[in-house]
Amino acid sequence: MSPANLHVLVSVALAAQAGAAFAQQSPGGTALPVDTSKWECKLCPYPKGSSGDVEVGAVNVDSDSFQFGRYTGLKKDTYLGLDANARSVQGASYLDLQASDLGLPYRSIDYEQGLSSMGKLNIRYAELPFLSSDSARTPFSGVGGSALHLPPTWVPGTTTQTMPGLNSSLQDVNIESGRKQFNFGLAAFPTREWQIGMNAQHETREGTKRIGGTFFLNAAQLIAPVDYTTDQLEAYASYAAPRWQVRFAYQGSKFTDGNTALRWDNPFAETLPGATFGQLGLPPSNQFHQLSASGGYDISDGTRATAMLALGRMGQDEAFLPATVNPTIAPVALPRSSLDGRVDTTRAELKLVSALSAQWRLNAAYSYDDRNNKTPQSTFNWVTTDLQLSPTPRTNLPYSFTRNLFKVSADYRVTPRDKATLGVDRDAQDRTFQEVSKTTENTAWAKYALQRGQFDVSLNYAHSRRDGTAYTPVPQISPPENPLLRKYNMADRDRDLVGVRAAATPWETVTIGLDYSQAKDNYNNSEVGLTYGREYTVGVDLSAQLTEGTSLHLYYSRQSVKSNQAGAQSFSNPPDWTANNTDTVQTAGIGLKHALIPETMDIGADLTSSRSVGDIRVSTALNEPGFPSIKSDLDSFKLWATYKVKTYLMVRASLWQERYSSQNWAIDGVGPSTIPNVLTLGETSPQYKVNVASVSLRYRF
Amino acid sequence: MKNKHRLLAAAFIAACFLTAARVAAQEQDKAEPAATSEYSEKGADTCLGCHSVEPFFATKHARREDPRTPFAGLQCEACHGPGGQHAKGMAAGQLVPITIAFGPKSKQTAAQQNRPCLGCHERDARIGWKGSQHEEADLPCASCHQLHTARDRMLSAGGQAERCLTCHIRQRGDFYKATVHPVRYGTIRCSDCHNPHGSGVSGKLLVKSTLNQTCYTCHAEKRGPFLWEHAPVSEDCSLCHTPHGSVYPALLKKPPPLLCQQCHAPAGHPSVAYTPQGLPGGTPSGFLLAGACINCHSQVHGSNHPSGAKLMR
Repeated sequence: MSPANLHVLVSVALAAQAGAAFAQQSPGGTALPVDTSKWECKLCPYPKGSSGDVEVGAVNVDSDSFQFGRYTGLKKDTYLGLDANARSVQGASYLDLQASDLGLPYRSIDYEQGLSSMGKLNIRYAELPFLSSDSARTPFSGVGGSALHLPPTWVPGTTTQTMPGLNSSLQDVNIESGRKQFNFGLAAFPTREWQIGMNAQHETREGTKRIGGTFFLNAAQLIAPVDYTTDQLEAYASYAAPRWQVRFAYQGSKFTDGNTALRWDNPFAETLPGATFGQLGLPPSNQFHQLSASGGYDISDGTRATAMLALGRMGQDEAFLPATVNPTIAPVALPRSSLDGRVDTTRAELKLVSALSAQWRLNAAYSYDDRNNKTPQSTFNWVTTDLQLSPTPRTNLPYSFTRNLFKVSADYRVTPRDKATLGVDRDAQDRTFQEVSKTTENTAWAKYALQRGQFDVSLNYAHSRRDGTAYTPVPQISPPENPLLRKYNMADRDRDLVGVRAAATPWETVTIGLDYSQAKDNYNNSEVGLTYGREYTVGVDLSAQLTEGTSLHLYYSRQSVKSNQAGAQSFSNPPDWTANNTDTVQTAGIGLKHALIPETMDIGADLTSSRSVGDIRVSTALNEPGFPSIKSDLDSFKLWATYKVKTYLMVRASLWQERYSSQNWAIDGVGPSTIPNVLTLGETSPQYKVNVASVSLRYRF
Repeated sequence: MKNKHRLLAAAFIAACFLTAARVAAQEQDKAEPAATSEYSEKGADTCLGCHSVEPFFATKHARREDPRTPFAGLQCEACHGPGGQHAKGMAAGQLVPITIAFGPKSKQTAAQQNRPCLGCHERDARIGWKGSQHEEADLPCASCHQLHTARDRMLSAGGQAERCLTCHIRQRGDFYKATVHPVRYGTIRCSDCHNPHGSGVSGKLLVKSTLNQTCYTCHAEKRGPFLWEHAPVSEDCSLCHTPHGSVYPALLKKPPPLLCQQCHAPAGHPSVAYTPQGLPGGTPSGFLLAGACINCHSQVHGSNHPSGAKLMR
């Protein structure tokens, strides 16, 4: 080893030791390495009393689009908004309040109170809207409830085109839901080492969602009610010593659905007697409880072991609905009145990281993940879509999964900042009631990360091979699958991954980033099913400080996802059709910020453009053309300015225009009566051009 | 041919590794002054004579009355290390770096920068930091967290997204697709699903013990167990869904019927090739249009209805 390298290593070791000393002794420790009694902190600019800011303003949205407001709930309207941040500190106690977007459909308030140095309390309230569709039409009334009815004058048709009252009874209906979340957390710090606390969340979700209801091959797109309540609780205790830490926790979740079923009138003419209405089950209420313990131990200065064990149980025991609501079918006896569903989960992990020397580090990890489905099996007589008793009873298949994952790797530090890593992984998965009882995937990978001054680059490569036990049809699955099919999550597969990432700062004011990754999958033994997949992403970033007051940010990324699959229209025959799917997504953005009047007025502009294209071609011997592209184009342009009137008063204003266009052959041109045997909601691909103007006044105190 | 390409790729990677290793071995990092144990005379008052970090004093780290914080002890030097020589040297007009500097221009390695942080924070959700992906990638805590600002950007939804997506470029593009998880809108945070400080051996850095348990945090109605389970749903949500954004509805990897036909090929309608002939203008097909398979098999996440074996009730 050269003297220079030795110097670097010694320097690293000393800095590391120094760091350890501060960490172990300084914050609240009993033996500080220096007498700090004269460190008076006279110059420390502690804020006095309360501090924060309040911002009030108005937001105008000039047109309606559910796609625009999908996750914000913004519709054509003028909103008055309020944001506030406030903090008050008194010794070790404090209050911290953050209110965001009050007055807007999405909004939240966070409150935290520090109780001396002994604990803290958190409260959060948030509303999260979800606007799904504003182009749906339905002849059913009662949307939002658990029963959907057709008009009293409805005359059923054998097809959607022969329903005489369809067009006149269609009503516009929005599909949307909203979540309201209330969180409460409490933490106590009885000693420096201990933390004990709990976090609870009560969430309600109300609104509607799409669902499909069918009578054999005659189906209708319906709107189901959403009336969900989810309560979650975590309670924990943790202890941290300088060399070891542990955490024990309980996690519980209880989901309740306010509706158990959705009934709907059959819009189609009865193919069998009595099927004038049907009934679907809605998500049953369920629970989950888990106890976990995790810990870490520094075996030596360079070696750390961590472990985790979590034991959980999922349960569901909601009373079964009747097998049918068709009054002409005799009541069907059920083997049980409810499922008594129970799944035990076990998750265990062990990880060891050991620095064998200044250059070498060994990493080893093992995880065990088990989903043991203990739901009892029973054989059910069942009714096909409320039409007729099936001649073939079915037995439920409680799926269980076990996964054993091993990882071993070694790092070699060529210099303190350069590292080469080689590793191998082994991922073994066991499944019950499925075609392949065990798959094993072995992966070998390598990575090199290098840093030279203001230049970073990392390269990685991985190759995986997945093999399974014999592919054996599941006898309980009826009708049987094509024996040539290989389900892609269990099929033999070769996978190659390559990644390159680089970042450079060629000049003090310019940073450039480059990222490329590619994954390629070959399912060489799959004749029917997914046969090939390939995905790559390339991205470039550039940030520049053009002048003292002007900065620029540019980025571009392109993603391509391609897959091939094969199908056979005749059972057990060789494949006679293929499907090729290519999705291409390009995203580009530019952001400019300029200090128009230094320290007083900033202006900026942000432009983002995204183009997504999904191309699909399904080919048979007839050599059909491809489907029209599924597209979405988004252009978002925002101009903004801030003007500091006083040191404590600021005006903000912004103009934002977003344009969106999309096309999807699955819904475009598909009205409620387009498909003879499916009464659809007649939705259309969203298009919008929305302008949003906002102005606000921010007062800092 | 495929093996040839793989060999070429492996050879290219190996060549890159060897070249980089050779370059690295030849170069030497600029020597750092060795760490010292000499502290400043007046603590923060020494530092604040030159450095202005007013917003820092509104943060929890600056609370002197709380014995758990750096300012209850060694103040600035609790994290930056002994600053005696730095202060004396600078006062004398000599450039003597502080023992530990943070940020992109720091001469210290990530492990050196992180050690003071881990001294207090290596617990709870950060127990597994060592050996995690971000630690393996030599990320300093300060590459994401801002300690000298009144509010760390990583504690806000917008700040998180901005920082995370700087490196996770694929996900940045994903969030502009037609259906997404609303990280771009700031209504959920990356950390609602991910624990960036390390969790799980599988490598996804998830907040819960498995992927599905993470999804059930917000989608508890899909947890079941159901009488009639759909095996891939119980196994792994990501077999059908892509989590960040999709060109297709409902964050699906591929639209039905093709998605479903990757695993279902019995005799009859599931194995038929649905071509553009089934579009409006041809013979509109319920197996292809609107929800396709979902028009009838709507209980694709599982059914608890006694007659739901085919996921139609």
